[in-house]
Amino acid sequence: MKTKTKIWMIVGKIIGGIVRSTKAGGGTTLPGKIIRYFRPHFVREVVSGLNIGCVLVTGTNGKTTTAALIASTLKRANISFVHNRTGANLLSGIASALVREKIRELKRSKELGLFEVDEATLPEAIEETNPRVVLINNLFRDQLDRYGELDTLAKKLKMSLEKLGVGSTVILNADDPLVSSIGSNLRCRVIHFGINTDIYSLEGLEHAADSKHCSNCDTRLEYRYHIFGHLGDYRCPKCGAKRPPLDVSAESVELKSFEGSKCLIKTPAGAVEISIPLPGLYNVYNTLGAAAVCLTLGVDLRVITNSIEKFKAAFGRVESIEIEGRKLVMILAKNPAGFNEVIRTLSNLDAKLNVVFALNDNIADGRDVSWIWDVDFENLKGKLSNVICAGIRAWDMALRVKYADTGVDCLSIEPEIGTAMERLLCTAGKNETVYIVPTYTAMLEARRILSKKGYVTPYWEE
Amino acid sequence: MKLVICHLYPDLMNIYGDRGNVIALAKRCLWRGIDVEVKSLGLGDKVEPGAYDIFFMGGGQDKEQVMVSHDLYETKGETIRREIEQGACALVICGGYQLFGNFYRPAEGEELPGIGVFDAYTIAGSKRFIGNVFVETCLDGRKTTVVGFENHSGKTYLGKNERPLGEIIVGYGNNGEDKTEGAVHLGAIGTYLHGSLLPKNPELADFLIRKALKRTYPGRDIEALDDSVENLAHKHAIKRAKKTH
Ligand SMILES: [Zn+2]
Repeated sequence: MKTKTKIWMIVGKIIGGIVRSTKAGGGTTLPGKIIRYFRPHFVREVVSGLNIGCVLVTGTNGKTTTAALIASTLKRANISFVHNRTGANLLSGIASALVREKIRELKRSKELGLFEVDEATLPEAIEETNPRVVLINNLFRDQLDRYGELDTLAKKLKMSLEKLGVGSTVILNADDPLVSSIGSNLRCRVIHFGINTDIYSLEGLEHAADSKHCSNCDTRLEYRYHIFGHLGDYRCPKCGAKRPPLDVSAESVELKSFEGSKCLIKTPAGAVEISIPLPGLYNVYNTLGAAAVCLTLGVDLRVITNSIEKFKAAFGRVESIEIEGRKLVMILAKNPAGFNEVIRTLSNLDAKLNVVFALNDNIADGRDVSWIWDVDFENLKGKLSNVICAGIRAWDMALRVKYADTGVDCLSIEPEIGTAMERLLCTAGKNETVYIVPTYTAMLEARRILSKKGYVTPYWEE
Repeated sequence: MKLVICHLYPDLMNIYGDRGNVIALAKRCLWRGIDVEVKSLGLGDKVEPGAYDIFFMGGGQDKEQVMVSHDLYETKGETIRREIEQGACALVICGGYQLFGNFYRPAEGEELPGIGVFDAYTIAGSKRFIGNVFVETCLDGRKTTVVGFENHSGKTYLGKNERPLGEIIVGYGNNGEDKTEGAVHLGAIGTYLHGSLLPKNPELADFLIRKALKRTYPGRDIEALDDSVENLAHKHAIKRAKKTH
């Protein structure tokens, strides 16, 4: 590493220390932002010293969880790595993660960079890190006000992947027609993963489904089955484009509500029965993606299954919190596809639900709250007992629930997320479970409130 | 009483929760005991004259908008235009609004034909207009406000005699220049606002329902609903619009 780069690392460390000591937050992006302003290729200079190289993880849903699954497996496999853990997934977040490492350690023993990357940032991140492995999990409509349109985004991603050489591997979700279309005619190795069973097949496309047309010829795709959103086993009736053969696949899936699922996973290294401790089909995809990355890095399949079975969810995505005899389950939902999966899991529970829906419209959530109208709240009909709508856009959320005609016994509005949670917990009986489904910054706020009361630890201490 | 809503290209043109508008129209009828039927028309489907009371079309991605524009122009445009002249209503948002004008001229590629319900045209701009919007308007002679969210780069210009939906108080509107937003022609409303629009603008929703009923059931008015949540959402959306600009 150049001396100047080292000096900037020290500067970054000092800034990070100041940010944390003023309690302004975890210092997960600011140091990187400042350093990159003065030294634009800081990331490139530092990661060039890693002897395995970088892994980039992207996709609209499941980035953080997938990266965390990979991280816990790498730990078990004794591969040392740098990781932007806390959802700081722009280049400033990557730079900040690099700054946090001790300079001497980074030089001597860190072998790999594991970075969760925002979809729109991927081209720049590829340019800066020349990655060994890139994982694209899915592409859904998410905050179009930031990303522009999905087709344009997919084209940009493909163009940047075309620059990767034969030494790199791109891992794609084959069940997502838009994602798998990115994999054609690349120089690097391409690996596909997907769910190869129709047992949880949906009858038709959900309203949140996005990529319904063939990216070759614009014909409407035909599906043998849907998993969720536009994910499934598809083919184009006109040009014959279809889901590519799966290299890593879930051959059977048994969902067990919020506890997780049981799957039979088939890989080039063998087949294995695995219990995934995370709920929903989206976490089956996260697991398959993480497993494919780790296999590519040469990790033993047994080490991978062991680490996944003992995995604890990344904060907020799904978190179960004990509060004076009651259980609060927090499930992040930041776009229609993710929200529909949460609704599917909730509606399969036996009890009537007490739930806070917390909707914010900060930049990180997306300023536009229109997307809640693409969520099928109608599927909660007859399942709701008590609903409190919270957050900056509590009233919009209340309207969505009202117009879904779910027959909720009690619908109320309380913009303050802390008060909303308290009120819901008060109405719940002993040993009852209440749910909070927040958008991204609403989740951060809920966690901040809970950590002040000592129920959870602040995320930058984890 | 019964209203039939025609949802144009629901699977191609529904990018910003636009279907929330159809949900709002349908529910606000059902809650009043007015029957509603929503029929979807896709590529190749013809519009049967006299079959529909309200036309609805949302926005789409560029690719979808191109696919839809030719179909709309060739198989449906003329009938829709005539139906609106004869008292049918329409709500068209974003891409739908653009295609209900005279034409849309993209930055590159061929010009897309519009069906000319509104005397308006749209040209691609280089800047994307994104954010909360708040406009003042007049519906059935009553001054009121409309609130929503815009996200478009197309700049729409109205002909001399075409009336805008309202005057921009916060936001960019039709073109970011003349302070106008949307267009109204008889019972047809075109706008860039989603959010979804109608749930939190109940007056606008009822304006469309009232106008649509008038053709088949003259003299029948609609009863008021409990709009306390709608009005709160409206009020707070205005507050948010002022704060985020
Ligand atoms: Zn095709």
